[in-house]
Formats: sequence, structure tokens, C-alpha cells
Amino acid sequence: MGAQILSLFPAANFSLIAVILALPLLGAFVNGVWGKRLGNDAVRVMALSAVGGSFLASVVTFIALASHVDAHIEGDHHEHVKLAWTAWQWMHTKAGFTGGNIPIDVRFSVDALSGVMMLVVTGIGFLIHLYSTAYMAEDPGFARFFAYMNLFIFAMLTLILADNLPVLFVGWEGVGLCSYLLIGFWYEKMPNAAAGKKAFIANRVGDFGLICGMFLLASYTGALDWTGIANGIGSLKDTTQDAYLIHVWPVGGGQYQGIFSFLQPHNPLTITAATAVGLALLLGCTGKSAQIPLYVWLPDAMAGPTPVSALIHAATMVTAGVYLICRLSFVFTLSPFVMMLIASVGAATALFAATIALVQNDIKKVLAYSTISQLGFMFLGVGVGAFTAGFFHVFTHAFFKACLFLCAGSVIHAMHARVHDDERAQDMRYMGALRKHMPITYWSFFASTLAIAGCPLTSGFFSKDEILYRSWVDHSVNPFADVLTRQKLEMFVPPQWLGPALYVVGVLAATLTAFYMFRALFMTFWGDEFRGWTIGRPSLVAAHASDDHDHHHDDLSVPGAAPKESPWQMTVPLIILATCAVVAGLIFNAGPINIPALHSMDHWLEPVFEPVARTVRLSEGAEGLTWPLAGGGILAFIIGTGVAYWMYIMEAGRPAEALADAAPGLYRLLLDKWRIDELYDATIIAAVDALADTSAAFDQTIVDGIVAKVPALLVSLFGSILRAFQTGVVHVYAAFMVIGLAFFGWFFVFPHPAATVTAVGKDTGDYIVTAAPGMGYQYRWDADGNGQFDSERTSDQMSVKVHLDEGKTQNVRVEATSAFGFSNSAAIPITRAASVKPMQLGLN
Amino acid sequence: MITSDNYVALSAILFGIGGVGFLVRRNVLVTLMSIEVMLNAVNLALVAFNRARPDNLTGQMFAFFLIAAEAAEVAVGLAIVLSLFRIKRTVRTDDADLLKN
Repeated sequence: MGAQILSLFPAANFSLIAVILALPLLGAFVNGVWGKRLGNDAVRVMALSAVGGSFLASVVTFIALASHVDAHIEGDHHEHVKLAWTAWQWMHTKAGFTGGNIPIDVRFSVDALSGVMMLVVTGIGFLIHLYSTAYMAEDPGFARFFAYMNLFIFAMLTLILADNLPVLFVGWEGVGLCSYLLIGFWYEKMPNAAAGKKAFIANRVGDFGLICGMFLLASYTGALDWTGIANGIGSLKDTTQDAYLIHVWPVGGGQYQGIFSFLQPHNPLTITAATAVGLALLLGCTGKSAQIPLYVWLPDAMAGPTPVSALIHAATMVTAGVYLICRLSFVFTLSPFVMMLIASVGAATALFAATIALVQNDIKKVLAYSTISQLGFMFLGVGVGAFTAGFFHVFTHAFFKACLFLCAGSVIHAMHARVHDDERAQDMRYMGALRKHMPITYWSFFASTLAIAGCPLTSGFFSKDEILYRSWVDHSVNPFADVLTRQKLEMFVPPQWLGPALYVVGVLAATLTAFYMFRALFMTFWGDEFRGWTIGRPSLVAAHASDDHDHHHDDLSVPGAAPKESPWQMTVPLIILATCAVVAGLIFNAGPINIPALHSMDHWLEPVFEPVARTVRLSEGAEGLTWPLAGGGILAFIIGTGVAYWMYIMEAGRPAEALADAAPGLYRLLLDKWRIDELYDATIIAAVDALADTSAAFDQTIVDGIVAKVPALLVSLFGSILRAFQTGVVHVYAAFMVIGLAFFGWFFVFPHPAATVTAVGKDTGDYIVTAAPGMGYQYRWDADGNGQFDSERTSDQMSVKVHLDEGKTQNVRVEATSAFGFSNSAAIPITRAASVKPMQLGLN
Repeated sequence: MITSDNYVALSAILFGIGGVGFLVRRNVLVTLMSIEVMLNAVNLALVAFNRARPDNLTGQMFAFFLIAAEAAEVAVGLAIVLSLFRIKRTVRTDDADLLKN
């Protein structure tokens, strides 16, 4: 079948990609423009068919890609092949150091990496769309919601399928925009709108890094498309050329002198261009993928509808940073420093976010911090060079996190039917025992929790353990070792203890993950009693209270709907995603257990990461460590789950309360998310505010006070003078006309000679003097400056040529005679400067 | 013999009379007549200069155009005067201050 598809669409012009991209865009357009008029049913059909059609086209494309890959296998090694389609030629730009012309086309391509992402985005995207048709059914913004969602799918596909950085950037910004629109979907509420803005601004900081990285890549490698960058990467390695070393301090490699000499460092700080590119791109990736220091937007992004959290802030958009690192893996691995930074940021984020998730009571907040933590794992994976493992975690995480969020949405949906309060409908303290009321949601949540906690044989186990294993055993080889040694430059070597340290942090984070996820599961679904009985609609509660006034009884429950299972549109996606969350690891596993009959993810992605394989090595004895290190992950699962079970089931939450009471400061700190938002408020935002206040004060006093007022005063002054002439009496106007006419008469009768001087050539001493023309003028010249006119008679000659020696001045005179016989003359002095000769000191 | 200079001098005198009349008289009709005198002074000068250069007829042609323009000007001017009189019941230029504000 694949061969037939390829005969229809050749690999170099695979226009089926257009269908994948165009369908969601069409859906967004139709729903956005005519959605209100079409009605909810038509909107539903449009949105689902757009994403569903895109998914089918993706499947067909994937089959074609697989057959194309098979056709290019030679023995064990298979080439990096891709299906590409150029929409149109966009623009050209000049490369900095190579000087070449960089064509930027709107070009899309599918290879092993983007193929998997494409399936994930459209497949999970479809399920979430299906889920949303029920979840959002009552919302007045139904059509708007689906327009945004379809637009998001389009932007994400643009990001994934882009064949060069500028097109990727369009998608990158597109998902940022859709994220803003969807977080602030219920924009009538102030916090939601603020959360949307926060996400947008935090992302912009990252985007700045991405743009810088893009410019650096264009200027150093002379290309912006993936193949071109991969080919041009050779020049990044060439540190013999000074241009590829960047002198950070002192800036530009100069010397500080005089009073600034204290700024001169002992050891000048020089980095390779690869490190600069890597750092810039990393900033972009931390922004989009919610890593330290730019993660703050993601928890707030939970203000949007829950399917949005599932789609954007768990399964797809936030993985864009990891995707970009994988995509440009051959750039990142050029700099061991940046790789170490990625791994460290990832590990730190994984642990940091997990500690916050421990104490949160809002079910979506727990999941939000768990997303950040899991993204940290992905960064840890790609940072140690285990790109396949990191990407595999993107893949498995997409399933279980989408499922978890959709389950949370299902729970909130059920809670909302009873509670009618956004805050309390998400608060796990009011839930409990929901497994009796909504079994499908419970079992899906349970399966996904097992996966995210790393229960052996579920998908999360394989991906997470592979990352942990590789974080211990991998070490990257500095590809610059030769040149750096030759140039006698200091080479960055990651410390020996880094690998084990990353492993320990990772295992710790995994333990916390197992704990907080099972805590959420137990608090929400387990227990004997539903704790939401005591709350209901405010009106009903009031009525109930007055009814019960006389006869007390122990049952505190108030009337109201019981939480019940969600409709099939919501449960079917849950079942599918939960199944995938459990079995995806077995099918596409990259872990210690391999099923060779199936394409393993490792093998499938091998050609994508082939250039990287040379720079990342396993340390000695890595094979023997496979099972001992996997043991750490399993232990993390057992401990985390066991402690959660003991705390929340066996002791019914009492140890947790005891702990919170024992260390109230720490508990508050964790509950307040380490008060990082407050820290940012106090430092960066306060600084920006201060700058804004200063600018505002400057604007009000200087700009509005002086710059604007003074000209306004002048204008009104002249206006009042001129207004005096505007008497409105015809006669006065006539008098002015006569005065004006008289002036013109005088001007024509009495000539006004003037002339301009033009030098001929550069310092030749020749000048041409040209008289200003006048009506009926005749001229006489005194070109030699002797005080006598050169001729008695006047003529039409308008210009004379004059030659001067150095340092001389000549008084050229011109006389103009008007047609009425009146004449007048003007003098034009011309000076030629003396040439500057070098001064000679005569000592003889 | 009457030379061109005489004609030009007469033209200048007529223009001066017209100009002074235009400035000092307050009656709109008289103002219009003063304008006519000035225009005709110009016409006279054009024809006189043309007589000094008989090889081309530009001056005379110009004079004809001016006569046509004068006719149009008078038609429009009188219409304006009539309108003014309807509004203000006067033809004195001092009272014709409708352009203000």
C-alpha cells in the first residue's frame, strides 16, 4: 500500500502533507467565521471531520513513510529519508559569515521523528476534540472554542512538519497564540485573562532566544533548513577560524584600559559558536516546554477549559521544546556545556515541580506540576544525549497525561453538576469515593497513574527508566577536543559525579511522582465516602438549612445531583488513551525489554539521531548496569505508591496532616509553589514596572509637558496673529491683494542676483559659479575678482568657471539686469583651503 | 505721432485709476467697475505691445481671451452682488463680512 501511495505522491513532492495541514485550518476558518450561524451540530461535525481527516491523512502519510524507509534499508543501517512538500517560495536572506544566499521556502517534510509527532498530535487531538464536544456542549462559546482548537492543531502541525526554522517559528508562535486564546477562553473572568497574558509573555521571553538562535545558525551555518544546517554544521566545528569563537568577556576580545582596566579578567571568557547557538535555542525551549526559569506560565494555564489543558499543556504544545532539541540534536551535541545545562535544568525542574505537586489540592494543579516535572524528565533524557529515550517519553507522556487531564475534566464535569463552583469542583478535598460513581473514569485514571508513576510494563516505566539509565551511563564526547587542544583553549568537561547525581535526582523525582499521583488517585476516587455531599447549590443549601431547623440529624448532606459517569463522547477517548498509556511501551519500547518483531522506537528513530551517536557514548560497564539501574525506577514506584497508600488509605490522610502541622512553614512554602511567582513579581516585574513608571513620568512631564506644549503654544501664538488679518471684510482682502501685487512688481523690476559655487572634482582648484535664474535677467561677471566687470555688455551667460590656487580667496561678482533696465550686483567670495601637509620637525 | 509709449502710459494710468478705485470705493458695483478698468488697462497694454511686434499676434489673441474672461467675471460678480444684496440688503463692501467665522 505504501508503494502505491508513493507512486501517487512522490517523496520529493508529497502533497498529501497539504491535506494534513489544510483540513484543521479550514475547520478553524469555517467555525471561526460562520460558527455562530451554523449551530452546534454543524460546528461539531466540522471540527471533528477536520481533525479526523487530518489524522487519516497522517496515517496514510506514515504508511508511505514506513514503506519508503523500508525501501532504503541497507542491511542493519537505514538512511534518513523524508517526504517533503514545498508550498511556495517565501523569501531569501543573506548569510553572515558564509556570505551565501539562504532561500527560505514554505516547505514541510515528514521523517521518522516528525511522523510520530504528527500521529500523536492529530490522533490525540481528535480524541480530545471528541471529548470536548460533550465537555463544552453547554458553553455559549462552543463554535469559538472549536475554531481555536482547530487552529491550534494547524499551528502545531506547522511546527512539527516544518522543514526549516522560520516555518517552524510560525508554528511556534501559532501555538503560543492559540494557547493564549484558549487559556483566556473564559475571558470575562479577570484571572483567566491574566493567565493567558502571562503564558504569552513568558513564551515571548523564550521566543526571543529562539530568534537569536535562528539568526546565529543562519549566520554560522549558512542555512535554515534541517538538511542545510546539518551540512553546514561542519563550519561550527571549525574553530581555527576566529569568527567561530565568541569572546564573551572582555566583549569582542579587546582590552580594557585606563580606569576600566579592573574589568579585564585574568582568563578571558571565550565560547564556541555552537555553545552560543545552543544557549539561545535552549532559552526558547525552556519557554515553550515550561522549564526552569520560564515554567511559571504553565500552572496558571489551567485557567482554560480542561480539554485545552489536556491538548496543549500536556500532550502537544509543551513538547515542542523537546521536539526542537531532538530535531536539532546535532547542533546541541556540539556543545557539552549546553547538553549538561539541558540535563541539569531538566533534572532540577523534574524534582522542583514534583515537590510542589505533593501538597496541591486542586486536581488540575497537581497534574500541571506533574506535566512540568515530566517535561523535566524529557529534558534530562535529551540532555544526556538519550534523544530516543527523551522523545519516547514525549510519546508515552502524551497518552497518559492527556488521559489524566481528560479524567480530571470528567471528574470536574461530574462535580460541577453538583457543586456549581469552579474552585470547589476541582478541589480534591471535596471528592473521594468517586470510583463508585464513575467507574470508567476511575479505571482510566488508574491506568494512567500506573503509567506515569512508572509501574513496570506500562509505557511510563519504559520511557522513564530508559532516561534514568542513560542519565547515569551516558557521557558526551566533546567534538571540539582536537581543535580546542590545538588552539590551547580550555575545554569544558562535565564533572564525573554529574551522571550519578542526575540519576539520583531523577529517581527522587520519580518517587515523588508516584507518591503525588497516587495521592491524587486516592483522594479523588478512593475512600469510603464522597466528601462533596456537604456542598450543593447555594440556594438549595439555604432551603435545606431552614427545613432542617427543628429536627437535627447527623446526615449533613444536602440535596443535589450525585456525581455520575460522563457521556460516551468523553469516556471513549478515556478508554482509548488509557489503553495506549498501558501498552504503548510494549509496542514501541526502547527499554531493556525488546520485542524485535515490532519496530522499536529506537530502531525507527535511529537515522534521525545517527549524527549524534558519534558524540554520545555509553560509559564502560554500562551493559552490566542495566538491571541495577532499572531497579532504582522500580523502587521509586514501590516506595512512592506505598507511602501514598499508607498515608491516604491505611491512615486516611492523618499522617499528611501531621506532617503539615509539624512543618507548617515548609508546607505553606510548598503550597505557595516556593513563592517563585512572588519572587518574579518582586524582582523582574517590579523592575519592569519601575522602568514603566519612569517612562510614564518622563512622558507626562517632558514629552507632554515641554515637547508637546511649546510647539502648541507657538502654533496658537502664530494663529492668533494670523487670525487678526482674517477680518472677513472683502475690502481688506482686496487691500492685501494689492499689497502683494505691488511686492511682486517690485521683485520683478529690481533684480536680486545670487549664485552657487560648485567645486569641480576633488581638490582640483576649479569651481563653477552659477547664477540663480530670474525672469528676463541678463548677467555680467567679474570672475577674476579685480573689481572690474569682465565685459561692458550684459549677456545670457549664467555661469563662469574659476580657478584658485591653494589657500587663496577670490571675490567673484555677478550683476543681474532686469528687463526694466535696473541692475544690481552681488559678491560671492570663494576660498580654497590650504592642503594639510605633515608637520616636519627640523632638527638639523 | 502716437507711439507705443503713449499707449503704455495711458494703460498705466488707467490701471492706477482702477486700482485706487478698487481700494477706496466701498460700493461693490463700483469695485467691480474698477476691476473692469484695470483689466481693460491690461488689454490696452497687450494690444499696444503687440503693435510693436507685428510679426506675431499673441498679444491681440490674449486680449480677446481676456475680454471673454471679463464677460464671465462680470456675470459671476453681478450674481454674487445680487446674492449679497438679498442677504444683507446692502452693496457696501464694509458690510460684506460673511467670510469671517
